[in-house]
Amino acid sequence: MRIIVAGGGTIGRQAAQRLSADGHHVTIIELSAARALSLRQLGLSAVRGDAAVLPALEAAGALRADVLAVCTGTDEENLLISFVSKRHFAIGRVIALVNDPENAWLFDQSWGVDAALSPTAALLGLIGSA
Amino acid sequence: MKVVIVGCGRTGSALAARLEAEGDDVTLLDPDESAQNRLPAGFRGRFIHGSGSSRSLLEEAGIAHAEAFAALSPSDSVNIIAARTARDFYRVPRVFSRLCDPARAPIYAELGLAAVGSVQTDVNRVHHLLHHRTLEPELTFGNGETMLVRAFVPGYLAGRRVAELNVPGEIAVVEISRAGHSSVPEGTSMLQQDDFVSFVVASGSLGRLRSFLDGTGH
Repeated sequence: MRIIVAGGGTIGRQAAQRLSADGHHVTIIELSAARALSLRQLGLSAVRGDAAVLPALEAAGALRADVLAVCTGTDEENLLISFVSKRHFAIGRVIALVNDPENAWLFDQSWGVDAALSPTAALLGLIGSA
Repeated sequence: MKVVIVGCGRTGSALAARLEAEGDDVTLLDPDESAQNRLPAGFRGRFIHGSGSSRSLLEEAGIAHAEAFAALSPSDSVNIIAARTARDFYRVPRVFSRLCDPARAPIYAELGLAAVGSVQTDVNRVHHLLHHRTLEPELTFGNGETMLVRAFVPGYLAGRRVAELNVPGEIAVVEISRAGHSSVPEGTSMLQQDDFVSFVVASGSLGRLRSFLDGTGH
């Protein structure tokens, strides 16, 4: 599959490494130039740019991508990236990270999100206080 | 009027102070607690410490009964999410937001969100001041892409027709004042020396208009 990962933090980087090892074609979009460089040094394909604007998405291959995983550390950015990529590139599956479980209600089709992932909510569930 | 403002920076705090002085019921939200220090002494509105895209805080701010909402944080993503939530989820009748990064302007437009953007306006304005000292805009439209400019007709243009000054997509003569009387001209209207003419001009075409008026153009 052709996969774009928006945000090269811990989750984005580890997902990209694993998916690349499994033979998928993965490109990361990362805002920080320093972080994009260190991702490339790990042998990953990384585009430096704002994943909420079209040029960076196009450079990362959004026109042909099957999946977009949106993993920045800011929920508002994740929603914006999901919205723009779904609207302009009709990416089949947009999966977005929910950082603050209070924002989970926003992560739906109206923002272009097909599936939302909330590690904190999952953790709370396992602890039994969700 | 009940107003909720996201962002207590220079713009948000100044707007809040003015609205409160005019008797409006103002509530601000800002994730930086010290931001409330920008509010004037004796400010009777409310300040809530936290993010403007948090549903529980927006509800605490009274968004369900707000008549107006302004998203003025320094983050486009926060402004867009807060403004869309206010308009579509809480049905706030009047919603405005600030555009920070001009590259993200299309997102506001796609969502139909009214955005006030200072960066592009400032760039256009300063660029204009640097290059076109003699033509001062009376009004600018949008983010400064077009403007209304007024100038006297120089003698050498007397006898020319309005249509000769109109450049499709760039310059349009919209009004002529002559001897204290204003009219909307036709293309065939004849210009006279000392007519005071209103032009709507694309910001990139000011130089062209100036060269017409200076007699350095064609």
